[in-house]
Amino acid sequence: MKLKDLPDDNLFTAGHTACPGCGAAMSIRNAIRILGKDTVVYVPASCAVVFGTTFPYGAWKVPFFHTAFENTGACLTGMKAAFEKKGKNVTAVGFAGDGGTYDIGLQSMSGAAERNDDILYICLDNEAYMNTGIQRSGGTPFGAWTTTTPVGKEVQGNRRFKKNLADIVIAHEIPYYATLSIGHPMDFIRKVEKAMTIKGFRFLHMFTPCIPGWKMDPAKTVEVTKLAVESGMWTLYEVENGEKKITYKPGKMRRVRDYLMMQGRFRHMSEEDIKKLQMWVCRKWNLHYGEKGAPEVCEIAPPEEHHAVTEEHREMHGP
Amino acid sequence: MFEVRFHGRGGQGAVMAAQTLAEAAVIEGNYAVAFPFFGAERRGAPVLAFTRIDAKKIYSKTQVYAPDCVVVLDDSLLDTIDVVAGLKPDGMVVINSKEKPQDIDLGKEIKTAAVDATSVALEILKAPITNTAILGAFAKAAGLIRIESLEEAIKRRFGEKLGEKVGERNAMAARTAYEKTVIGKSKGIKKLESRKQWLPAYQELPVGGALFEGKTEAGLIGPGSFIENKVSGWATFRPLRDKEKCTMCLLCWFYCPEGTIVRISDRGDLMTNYDYCKGCGICANECPVDAIKMVRARV
Repeated sequence: MKLKDLPDDNLFTAGHTACPGCGAAMSIRNAIRILGKDTVVYVPASCAVVFGTTFPYGAWKVPFFHTAFENTGACLTGMKAAFEKKGKNVTAVGFAGDGGTYDIGLQSMSGAAERNDDILYICLDNEAYMNTGIQRSGGTPFGAWTTTTPVGKEVQGNRRFKKNLADIVIAHEIPYYATLSIGHPMDFIRKVEKAMTIKGFRFLHMFTPCIPGWKMDPAKTVEVTKLAVESGMWTLYEVENGEKKITYKPGKMRRVRDYLMMQGRFRHMSEEDIKKLQMWVCRKWNLHYGEKGAPEVCEIAPPEEHHAVTEEHREMHGP
Repeated sequence: MFEVRFHGRGGQGAVMAAQTLAEAAVIEGNYAVAFPFFGAERRGAPVLAFTRIDAKKIYSKTQVYAPDCVVVLDDSLLDTIDVVAGLKPDGMVVINSKEKPQDIDLGKEIKTAAVDATSVALEILKAPITNTAILGAFAKAAGLIRIESLEEAIKRRFGEKLGEKVGERNAMAARTAYEKTVIGKSKGIKKLESRKQWLPAYQELPVGGALFEGKTEAGLIGPGSFIENKVSGWATFRPLRDKEKCTMCLLCWFYCPEGTIVRISDRGDLMTNYDYCKGCGICANECPVDAIKMVRARV
């Protein structure tokens, strides 16, 4: 499907109450536009529930269900089973946030992935608990300010690196995992379409900027996602039946500093911290693309094997 | 006791304004409290904040229902909210508006101070965050707090949180607005109808809150009914598309998070529905041929 072939009609209507420039609203609108009307949606506690449905109003034009925070995987399994029992062939889609996937919903998602249930799990990753007022989640990158990782004299921002959710999900040996960015429409459309046609547990990982949480200009939502990809903070690839394929490779690696300085949540970062994050990005870049990024950027630290199994590791955990 | 109610939109800083006003009152040796009204507020949605000032200790913890002064950070709120509700007869309204007080219709003839705080904020702060500017207008109109104390409070509160320079710029915004404020009397012609709400008895509610598409006297409910919610008031800017330059690449249509830009395939054209535009500016920022530019909404 090309951009111009997408239907005019929208299954996520206007008038919803997301912040201006919301990356999640943009991703939801386009995902549901591609998935079409034979879709049932589950959304756990998140912004998407608040701005998409405020009783008795709702923006969804497809069957929509919401219960608790931690059970996206289980609910989707149940919904799919119920529709199957009724003889209806639908795509069961869950739109969970990074909090509802990285931390709170991880067990439920893992269960559904293990059973390889025929559902589509979409993680809208805005890198913190934005709905409750910007608290740190497992998806929050190194150095980022949140209300629970404040900027103080001794410690500035989040001290841990973003959790590698991709490898956790892929380790379930699911048929399809892909990362998406709203700044790359063709790639976005292709991956959602592909996820629709595959049977089994499919996971789409969407990068969705949050204007108040990232403290940035609402007009820059798309620009910042593009820069995230160009700098290596976000990489676009898909894993189909264990086989990994890079779907977009940036020409030349941009410095992570350019990406950081667009956002208020990183503006306090010290040179040392930026360097630390740059090293992390370089390692990730090296791992993904199998080559050095921009030499002048990555020279600051020789990239090492990211997930190499060391002798030490073998001794501790066996081969 | 002097009670103030702030009407603003998420992101304009109504809460910070209430707190800063309280701080200024404390600097002058008074007692003061400030607190916001919490709902599921997003950026741009209407919010409330309150400040109480007294020479004695304040024990009242409720919302302010009969304010001495109402501060309106955004005049587009007048279309949907009865801002003067409960206002004391000798009270007053401080409003962010391009118009003169006598041209502003509040549904009540009342002492009104007007200042174009959005322009002041855009000029000095380079962002439509009107809280400090409107406080300057409050200082002039109410005569309760000296502008010097207010500047000090702004420098303290904003400086602490956002850096000294930001504090000073905000104090300047307050001073500029203070000097530009016009005081007069508002018009009291319009009768604001409060928005009807669907309020079913509990027996009428569906099991589990499950709703089908439906129509009530308060409008649509259920799936897709959010189109009832017009959000144009959220926007400070809005997009204007130059049809000559447009190449119909459809990127703006894809990127618009609101559904403001509507595609009509039959006509092969795009349409902009301003009822739903929150003025984020993504379309203008992403247009590859610069066919879209953002202009001030409601001029």
